[in-house]
Amino acid sequence: MLVSWVCSRSLNKSANCSLCYNFCFGLPLNMRRSQDSGKLAKPGKTVTRFASLLIGLCLLCGHPANASVKLPHCAIRNIVLTNGLRVVMLEDHTAPVAGVQVWYHVGSKNELPGKTGFAHLFEHLMFDGTTNLGAEQFSDYIVRSGGIDNAYTTEDTTVFWETVPSNNLPVALWLEADRMRNLQINEQVFKTEREVVKEERRLRFDNQPYGSVVETLYRSAFQVHPYQHQTIGSMEDLERARVADIQEFYDRYYVPSNATLVMVGDFDTQDAERLAKKYFGGLPSGGSQEDRKIPQEPPQTAPRILRLVQKVALPAVVEGYHMPADGTPDAYPVRLAAKILSEGDSSRIYHRLVYEKQIALDAQSAGNFTEDPNLFFVLAILNAGHAPAEGEKEMEAEIERLKNELVPAEELDKAKNQILRDFIISRETVKTRGEELGYDSVVLKDVELVNTELARFLVVTPEDIQRVALKYFVRENVTIVEVLPEANQQSKPGK
Amino acid sequence: MGSKTRCVARLLWIGLSWGVAVLSAADLPPTVPPPKPFQSAMPVVRVLPNGLKLAVIERHELPIIGVRLVVQSGAEADPASLPGTAQMVASLLNQGTTKRSAQEIARTIDQIGGMVETGADWDNSFVAVSVLTDRTELAFEMVSDMVIHPSFAPAEIERQRKQALSALSVAHDDPAYIADAAFDRLTFDGTAYGHPPDGTEEAVRRLTSSNIREFYARNYRPDNSILALVGDIRADEAYQLAARFFAEWKQDDPPPTRQPSTIDSSRTGTAHHSKGRRIVVIDKPDSVQTEIRVGNRGIPRGSSDYLALTVANQILGGPATNRLYKALRTEHGLTYSASSELDCYQTNGSWEGKTSTRSIETMKSLRLVLDQMNRLRDHAISQGELQTAQSYLTGHMALEVESPDSIVTQTLNLMVYNLPLDYWNLFPRELRTLQTEEVLNATRRYMDPERNVIVLVGNASAFSRELKKLGEVRVIPIERLDLGSPDLERPVAVNP
Repeated sequence: MLVSWVCSRSLNKSANCSLCYNFCFGLPLNMRRSQDSGKLAKPGKTVTRFASLLIGLCLLCGHPANASVKLPHCAIRNIVLTNGLRVVMLEDHTAPVAGVQVWYHVGSKNELPGKTGFAHLFEHLMFDGTTNLGAEQFSDYIVRSGGIDNAYTTEDTTVFWETVPSNNLPVALWLEADRMRNLQINEQVFKTEREVVKEERRLRFDNQPYGSVVETLYRSAFQVHPYQHQTIGSMEDLERARVADIQEFYDRYYVPSNATLVMVGDFDTQDAERLAKKYFGGLPSGGSQEDRKIPQEPPQTAPRILRLVQKVALPAVVEGYHMPADGTPDAYPVRLAAKILSEGDSSRIYHRLVYEKQIALDAQSAGNFTEDPNLFFVLAILNAGHAPAEGEKEMEAEIERLKNELVPAEELDKAKNQILRDFIISRETVKTRGEELGYDSVVLKDVELVNTELARFLVVTPEDIQRVALKYFVRENVTIVEVLPEANQQSKPGK
Repeated sequence: MGSKTRCVARLLWIGLSWGVAVLSAADLPPTVPPPKPFQSAMPVVRVLPNGLKLAVIERHELPIIGVRLVVQSGAEADPASLPGTAQMVASLLNQGTTKRSAQEIARTIDQIGGMVETGADWDNSFVAVSVLTDRTELAFEMVSDMVIHPSFAPAEIERQRKQALSALSVAHDDPAYIADAAFDRLTFDGTAYGHPPDGTEEAVRRLTSSNIREFYARNYRPDNSILALVGDIRADEAYQLAARFFAEWKQDDPPPTRQPSTIDSSRTGTAHHSKGRRIVVIDKPDSVQTEIRVGNRGIPRGSSDYLALTVANQILGGPATNRLYKALRTEHGLTYSASSELDCYQTNGSWEGKTSTRSIETMKSLRLVLDQMNRLRDHAISQGELQTAQSYLTGHMALEVESPDSIVTQTLNLMVYNLPLDYWNLFPRELRTLQTEEVLNATRRYMDPERNVIVLVGNASAFSRELKKLGEVRVIPIERLDLGSPDLERPVAVNP
């Protein structure tokens, strides 16, 4: 395939950087492998793979400053049905397609100890049949229309989505309403699906170079908050999951009062609203969603440093600093700091480690922004012969510079321009726009942020960046994982 | 199962589901009106006096524009002894020109919130810049600078060499990468696609500045390139800017001898048959999963069998639900992903099934993949399957015109593979006339389960004994793997 132009870095540099791959934040666990979505001509493999990683990063980090270019305004219709279902609609006739997403406000942070991985396992089960339809028939309907569908689970949410030719909007809505109400899972289907999820864990984590690094880091960085465990869950907990757990989870979380329906695309808003009421209006509410006690993480008081010796070719180092929740005032300067540190080849960490010192294959930073406070990452995959400590020292030098010197105005403008671009690119498909609307509505709790959030970035000053760097990027707040290749001397490329 | 039996089974199934419907007053999704008539965006194509083709696609919804220069030569044009040349050349395009240093390019693009990307794959190399519309002119100027005046400075070559070597060493830890590369190496042996496009360690170390300059001079020529412009720009303005910034791009020597379009056997309709089945295991004892690849040589993009095989592939393991997915995942829970890929290039192609499974289930999974391939080859698909595939492929076209990126990719694919620009408008009609027999005949021409390539990457001790029942097996320890060698193996005596 002729490569997409959404990536900022040349692909063949690190097209197979699995640490980065696994590091794709939110690591939304997809129901299906993202199969090449129906492109009819598709030579080329390595290229698309890294592309999707970067798109993922853009999406999650993305939000937008440039004097003459304006972000087009989205005229959103945002209503709540009597059963508590929030419905967000955005009419747009750019292409003859419609995007439907159902956001359930439940993710892996709602899992109890010993039951990790359940939110994601449940996501899989949502494709396995209702009182009306057999297993996989949901997707069969979407496929027959020419559409695509999938789902993903994060720490905070579970999202089901379809993109269909716009005449099929009623079909997608009917299907989503059906599985919100009529899910029916038997023991056999449950066991099979559990095996599928275990294979997903093996594929993404256990059989991947660097696959356990992020998991190790989280287990140490969080001691109380459920962000401690990965959304995929542990093998032991998956094994322990029982079909009896399903009903309880379904009744509690998969109800209109805990869901947001997002529609974007080629429809008339009044028609869409009527369809939403027709298919979802009659579903029983599910009651109050108030009582959720998520234990909050106490402040970290000393650095935590871990070493992993693994069968990998190159050393790596990952640092995670506790940082504020998304949508809070400090989140915006932190997001901009990430751009300054590592977006584009001229960014500070990338330039220093990869270009100037040539000690790293890749170096990145990004916040894993979520509903509760999460981690800000700085990481590098080092070239052979360079120790993790060397990478840390260089990354640290850039972190210190953020604290000691005000970012020049021009460099801050650069970061703001990159944010604006991210906002614009996220509008290119009904799926990515739907994701922004859903995320703003469910996690940030204000769907109008899709129009107003850019302003929050634009007001950030160099002093703000310095202030958050001094506040969060401090030694006692960091967890570091150093990865050392098992056979260190073997893979040293000579000069 | 014969098609007759399947029809009966199908009737039974319908009967059963009706039974359920009556009992539980089941509901079904609503019927909907037919889709809106579909017209794909037809780019207007012009040619500059120097031979550079221009394609403009106007999209005014968002204030962004992409300028993408595609050279119609990629990794397939690598010198036989130097795999990775095309990618190395492409990776250097944004690492300095006679006007700007690598750092200046990066700073300029980053400052305006733009993005630059360069790369090479089969049949194409590219440099692309996207910017917000207030910088449109700069995007044209930078792309022309990078493609016309690259400096290939020695220091930058060494930097990219180091990066490429590190990337290769990381890739070689990734079982999926190894499986894909080994499969392609065996399947495409003796063709222009028989080497890893990202090169081998040995070749990347050996590449010289003159190798790089030679590749550039031979392939980066206006009459071998397409400039695609997509986004918030008017066609006339795009042509003016293109003429302004690309007119100086000249070549001195006579028109390039395009890569000889090897009319290999697949183009004429006879499958490429190797002597027999080739089974290779790449032994990675620490694996918890086995990566599985099974397939044959396929067809070039221009083959008249393309449509029939696209449908066959859709049913076997194409996007969305398919036979492999249902057999391996839905029914048996053996994998997270099971699919098939029909990869079609300028002069060749491949058709493969792929999946990954826990080590102990390797043989069961492999057998299920082979069963599904045999079934597709031995029995016609049902009318219902054909209709589902037709309606997916037709309906899906609407999704392909959604983003500017997707539209420009579609357009460039048509141009690179010499297909008519109204291809997608004719596609539904051609698809509708396709018969199940045509799909079966095409499948029989290219899918040969007795003479296929099977590559397994995993813990060989978990499955190699049983594997021998399928034929002669060659086990290559991972540390001996050499993707540059036709038999994938490094001689024992050589130091790692």
